[in-house]
Amino acid sequence: MGDVVVLENVSKEYPLGKLVVPALKDVSLSIGAGEFVSIAGPSGSGKTTLLNLVGCVDTPTSGVVRVDGLDIGRLSERELTRLRLEKLGFIFQSFNLIAVLDTFQNVEFPLLLQGKLSHRERRDVVVELLERVGLGKHARHRPNELSGGQRQRVAIARALVTRPRIVLADEPTANLDTGTGASIVDLMKSINETQGTTFIFSTHDARVMKHADRVVRLEDGRVVSNGDDPSAHAAGTGAELAHREEPAPYLAGE
Amino acid sequence: MGRLLLIAARNLRQNRRRTALLSAAVVAVTMLLVLLGSLGNGIQATLLEAGTAMITGHVNVGGFFKITSGMGSPVVVDAARTLADVKELAPEASRIVQRRRGFGKVVSESDTIQCALTGIDATNDEALRGILRIREGSLDNLDADGHSILLFEKQAERLNVSVGDDVTLSSQVVRGQTNAIQVRVGAIARDMGLLSIMSSYVSLDVIRDLYQLDPDTTGVILVYLDDPEQAGDVKARLREGLLARNHRLMEDEPDAFYHKFQQVAGEDWTGMKLDVTTWEDELANIQWTMKTFDTISSLLIGVLLVIVVIGVMNTMWITVRDRTREIGTLRAIGMGRFRVLVMFLLETVILSVLSALAGVLLGAGIAELLNSLRIPVSQGFQIFLMSDTLRLVVSPRSLLLAVVVVPLLTTFGALIPASRAARLRPVTAMQHAG
Ligand SMILES: Nc1ncnc2c1ncn2[C@@H]1O[C@H](COP(=O)(O)OP(=O)(O)OP(=O)(O)O)[C@@H](O)[C@H]1O
Ligand SMILES: [Mg+2]
Repeated sequence: MGDVVVLENVSKEYPLGKLVVPALKDVSLSIGAGEFVSIAGPSGSGKTTLLNLVGCVDTPTSGVVRVDGLDIGRLSERELTRLRLEKLGFIFQSFNLIAVLDTFQNVEFPLLLQGKLSHRERRDVVVELLERVGLGKHARHRPNELSGGQRQRVAIARALVTRPRIVLADEPTANLDTGTGASIVDLMKSINETQGTTFIFSTHDARVMKHADRVVRLEDGRVVSNGDDPSAHAAGTGAELAHREEPAPYLAGE
Repeated sequence: MGRLLLIAARNLRQNRRRTALLSAAVVAVTMLLVLLGSLGNGIQATLLEAGTAMITGHVNVGGFFKITSGMGSPVVVDAARTLADVKELAPEASRIVQRRRGFGKVVSESDTIQCALTGIDATNDEALRGILRIREGSLDNLDADGHSILLFEKQAERLNVSVGDDVTLSSQVVRGQTNAIQVRVGAIARDMGLLSIMSSYVSLDVIRDLYQLDPDTTGVILVYLDDPEQAGDVKARLREGLLARNHRLMEDEPDAFYHKFQQVAGEDWTGMKLDVTTWEDELANIQWTMKTFDTISSLLIGVLLVIVVIGVMNTMWITVRDRTREIGTLRAIGMGRFRVLVMFLLETVILSVLSALAGVLLGAGIAELLNSLRIPVSQGFQIFLMSDTLRLVVSPRSLLLAVVVVPLLTTFGALIPASRAARLRPVTAMQHAG
């Protein structure tokens, strides 16, 4: 037990005209509470598809996806929305902030959707969180007045504000330069360590992967390696690092 | 909800051009709606004011007297008794006046016209005094010498007469023979469009003499009420009461008296029958002007509204397409479908409520301005408007209607794109390019 995400023989196919594109093929996987997991794999291998299933924005063609113990295939649209709001946080590659709202309002938004906290409580939570992600001075800036790294910090704060069990991030550093990307991963990691939030993120970047407790590698819709043993942290990282030392072949293999 | 309102308002501001264009369209249509409505109200008000003075009282007791079954005259015999009965039966009447009804030719040295000749008690007929605008002479002349006629400008022009000149009236009287009588032009009044084309007013005595009527006769008893809406009740009471007092009554027919000649002539009875009508009955034939106007303006407004609604719908489609990614994001982070719908609809609601308000204010302002400028209208329109200046009556009810109906329709137009947005699958929306 203690697994917050379980996939059992999950397949996902996309209809494409008269064709059917298999994006995931018979994937079984479980992710424990508090893990910091990276999904790796070449382009088109199914990383986004996997995250969408775990994120309850899509449903599998076959197999079972359990999120926090619930089989998402059995939930109604309404229940899925509720699950996303209460249990999940999302970080996107291109930040996806609401352009017309400022930093504070963007971060506060999920709390308003939940409608549980009072005005004061919301303010306290958001202010504290903005300090935490280093945006205390930017509460009244609109997204277009922020740098990419700052925007992604806003997105992280928005994903965390409801204290979700799981945060999903699809290539969170892909639109950032190396240094900024590293600081974003550091931030995610530190939240993972201090609050025990489960992070599942996809990335192409080996330097980002090395922070992960575990790297799940997809190829052509199948799991080809799964650093099963959480204690094999060092080994997993080592494997990725080995790849990083030979960037050219690694990239060619993508 | 407050936050959704903020998002909607800010998005409207963000897309300035789109918003400005759409607001301008909504403002314009609402304004036009108000202006056309006010013009319609103006015509209606003029029609009622002028009609209830020139053609009918609020309730009328008239009727026909038939010597033979084949021919009826618009005469009430036993006038004194009938008048006393009417007074008793309609105690709330603010005024009761009598008129005599006739029809004939007015002949001058240069031309002849045909028109209704209405005998009036010029001193006491206050409604008529209030509505006629005398250009030359005076209504008092009609009573002073007892043998005068009031003509309208165009009639006088055609007959080439002015106040003080003599004209001859001739008319077919009861037994088929023609009588003529000389009268003096006592007053010339400004034209009243449709209402003045075929009518002129003479002293009461003129009609009596022309038709050689008994003094104890009248044409019609006009009852005026403080509240014209009560006319139906009073009519019902008069019908019942007059019957009970042994008067004979014609069938209740909501039509003008001059339309009843033929029917009466075709009926097989002789003697006297009274007819009780309301102003609505008497003006039924003239209401076509209103109906025509209403039809034309409703068509125009309808077409414009459809265009605006399509414009709103189109804009909403664009908005939804532009913000599909945002919809995906919001759905992913846990926003429900209904809220997505509301978020988009709010944009249209804000825009159209504000624009409709502006349009209504602008329309009402322009209407008042046009009124105060007393803009003259061309002759062709005068007939239609029954007034020689533009008259607009802004009614609060129609303003309220415009403020409610326009936003309702535009919101309805936005509903289809907005609900499409709400029904998007989050994953589809998220993958949307751009
Ligand atoms: N909506 C869709 N319709 C059809 N095919 C799709 C759709 N989404 C993804 N696919 C296909 O499914 C497969 C997996 O796609 P997915 O986006 O999960 O890959 P990915 O690992 O995230 O790739 P990348 O690294 O480029 O983001 C690909 O072959 C892709 O073409
Ligand atoms: Mg992807």
